Amino acid sequence: MIRLGLRLAIGREAILRLVMIAVAVALGVGMLLGILAGINAVQKQGDRYAIINTSATTPGKPGADPLWWSQRLDVYRNQVIERVDLAATGPNAPVPPGIPRLPGPGEYYVSPALAALLATAPAGQLGDRYPGHQVGIIGRPALTSPDRLAIIIGRTPDEVAAIAMAEKVTGIGTEAPEVWTLALTLILAVTGMGLLFPVLIFIGTATRLAATRREQRFAAMRLVGATPRQISTIAAVEASFAAIVGTVLGFGLYRLSHDWIAGIPFTGEAFYSDEVALNSLDVIGVALGVPVAAALVARFALRRVRISPLGVSRQVTPKPPRAWRLVVLAVGLAELFYFIGNKPETGIGQAAAYLPGLLLIMAGLVVAGPWFTMLGARLLARRANRPAALISARRLADNPQAAFRAISGVVLALFVTTVATGVITTIVANRGSHIEGVRTHADLFAYVDSGTTEVPARLTADLAATQGAGPVLVLRHDPDAGLRAPTVVACAELARAAVYGRCEDGAQVASVWPALDWQDNRSVVWPTSSIPLDGLAGLPVYALLVQTDGTSAAVERTRTVVLGAFPSERNPPITGNEHELEFVSTLTGWKRLATLIILASLPIAGCSLAVAVAGGLSDRRRPFSLLRLSGVQLRVLRRVVALESAVPLVLVAAVAIVAGLVTAELFLEAQMGYTLVAPHADFWLLIGGSLVVALAVIGSTLPLLERITGPETARNG
Amino acid sequence: MTPIIEARDVVLSFGETPALRGASLAAERGEILAIMGPSGSGKTTLLHCLAGILVPASGEIRFDGQRVDTLNEARRSTLRRERFGFVFQFGQLIPELTAEENVAMPLLLAGVRRAPALARARPWFERLDIAGLEGRRSGELSGGQAQRVALARAMVGEPEVLFADEPTGSLDSLTGEQVMNLLVASAQEQGTTVVLVTHEARVAAYADRDVTVRDGKVFAPAPERVAS
Repeated sequence: MIRLGLRLAIGREAILRLVMIAVAVALGVGMLLGILAGINAVQKQGDRYAIINTSATTPGKPGADPLWWSQRLDVYRNQVIERVDLAATGPNAPVPPGIPRLPGPGEYYVSPALAALLATAPAGQLGDRYPGHQVGIIGRPALTSPDRLAIIIGRTPDEVAAIAMAEKVTGIGTEAPEVWTLALTLILAVTGMGLLFPVLIFIGTATRLAATRREQRFAAMRLVGATPRQISTIAAVEASFAAIVGTVLGFGLYRLSHDWIAGIPFTGEAFYSDEVALNSLDVIGVALGVPVAAALVARFALRRVRISPLGVSRQVTPKPPRAWRLVVLAVGLAELFYFIGNKPETGIGQAAAYLPGLLLIMAGLVVAGPWFTMLGARLLARRANRPAALISARRLADNPQAAFRAISGVVLALFVTTVATGVITTIVANRGSHIEGVRTHADLFAYVDSGTTEVPARLTADLAATQGAGPVLVLRHDPDAGLRAPTVVACAELARAAVYGRCEDGAQVASVWPALDWQDNRSVVWPTSSIPLDGLAGLPVYALLVQTDGTSAAVERTRTVVLGAFPSERNPPITGNEHELEFVSTLTGWKRLATLIILASLPIAGCSLAVAVAGGLSDRRRPFSLLRLSGVQLRVLRRVVALESAVPLVLVAAVAIVAGLVTAELFLEAQMGYTLVAPHADFWLLIGGSLVVALAVIGSTLPLLERITGPETARNG
Repeated sequence: MTPIIEARDVVLSFGETPALRGASLAAERGEILAIMGPSGSGKTTLLHCLAGILVPASGEIRFDGQRVDTLNEARRSTLRRERFGFVFQFGQLIPELTAEENVAMPLLLAGVRRAPALARARPWFERLDIAGLEGRRSGELSGGQAQRVALARAMVGEPEVLFADEPTGSLDSLTGEQVMNLLVASAQEQGTTVVLVTHEARVAAYADRDVTVRDGKVFAPAPERVAS
């Protein structure tokens, strides 16, 4: 029976179906392997984030000497540099991974990427920030990415101890921050679902291709004595054969696209190419699981067909979908709604709160889709006066499940894209409003955490000698601030930087909000402080604000000078642009991912749609042919086919977009207290373009209509 | 008297295989004409030529004195839609539509709005003895009921010529007779010409006249006709 199944699977008639299923499976397997390799890479990358978890509470080896440890960030031309200053208090101090020994005072190890940067960047812009000389390269065990910029600097214990928030540790972190890996794995799961779902639909649709002819063949076999079990075996063998071919092709596809996948900075950082890899469990699971799953899908696809020896006795018309199908969607939306005002405290809690809601809504859209399709079809049928509208509406209302199945891939892609775009647009609108169009955004702002009252005398002179650096404002804590602005500044300094506002006439010290560079304060007159000018020097420094001419070189030179003057501060001087950098880069990454989902899903969903339309035509070739012979114009039949696909597509796409916007609104409200801002024109263009592509795919099947409704189809017998 | 439909010396081949080799035939207005012949003789091809579905390689097809074979596809479609009716052996109903919507289809195609089209379709159910089946789909009808619905659909537009290709071929003899009785009665009532293709003598017996097609040529009268 298996041999017969194989022979049938590669027969002439079955070859088209075989190719379709194999292509669908290959795409699915390729994507699945890519996602699994991505998850593995994320986990490996996450493991090396463990070093960030180093703290005084990190368990160490018994008898280890404490190590003074200060971990800070530095910035160079919009790139973050991970900086660790350390000093051993004894010979048994722990050594971080990736370096052979602890650097002594005046020595440092750098990552390969930073070594390359130090070799090319002018010392005044970068190298002068790091005391000592390079003694080696940090190895991969301490680096999350080949592009990672990192430096481990050896200092004396006193020097490190002076750095704000430095601490003594006896062990180096070995566990990645839990929220990081959990969140990324869950996000990968959502992304994977968005990508894989259209492929599964495609496989299911391709399996049903030319089902009528295949079922006739099965009926003929039943007539000569084949049992239902044997028929199921043959169907399963046919599907499995295609799936095995597709799985092999899928592994090849993964191999070919491996470098491209490895190059996607999914976590914001490039992966080591060899870490985007499959483990043996992945390989065995996919290689065995996919053909087995395909056999089950084939069995499932035949479930509605009762094949008797006299043929397919009856195509069981599915019961109309009922309103209970809305329950899952409603539960998902309600789940998100619940968290408005009940936002979980921790990152893990938030991920656990929102992602199930998202997954529920995605599942809910798939479950409720046929109900929406039926609703639209019934409305259309009620109002239809034209034959095309009537025929298509009746067919849709008859089997909305089948109509929706073909478009469900597009629907999920639209939903994911809508949520991502809605969230990103709203966050940018809320957080970006204070930074747009402000010239001062290239000025450096340096928090001073150490509580010092001293500003090194050489700072002003050094800045004056630095090309591109402007005047410096020293913002100090106002001990009497209360509800007023928390910092004070000398009016003489403020007068040199008119863009930050001005003092009242005759004032010597003004109360100011410290984030002077975050908005245009040109017209602001700051209130006079009661603190006398000569009292300023005794107040702790809150922050420095240094103007630059906005060029990257000037910013970096100025940063180097400020860091040199305040070597023990925890936070580096950064510009407003850099403050937004990580946020913008993350958002850009998500936006790219959302676009990738829709761009990858669309062609696959389009293929499903085309196969489903062609299958529907094939099933109705005789009544359509006879209608044509009776004088019905081809355009009427074309309109029938177009409406059958376009109505559910447009209707359920609208539902998906609305659900996406509602989901985004609920998430934004719950997590950030924002109200959804409508997506911009580029989003609507993407959606419109997607629908046009899908409609074009439907259009591409219409020439088939003319071919299969020729007079020969109408001949009796 | 001018025949309403006529084929003159019609020749048509499918690739290398000749189907019609100079077939000629004419039917008068209101006449019921049976075309008989064995399988593969060319009788269905001749019907398709007469109906303007196929265009002969040579020869002429005329309807009401006008050439049909020289019309383009669009005009032939219009002719079929507006002046002809068709009944086939099986599978002609649109499965998604109810019986009355199927019957109303030619009227909807002619631009009649839905409510009046359905109103004109309904009396045919009484007339063809299938009252009560208006709301059923084709899958819920027996073969005889489905053929009667198909007949109603063919007649609702009051065609001048009804082409019937083995209309009882998938029915048992009793049901086939019922359908033929109704077909003949309806045609006579409306003065419709019927061109009937069949290989069964007892079906051909309902015709006023019959011809036989053999090897792509028309012979009249049919030599194997059995008098009813």
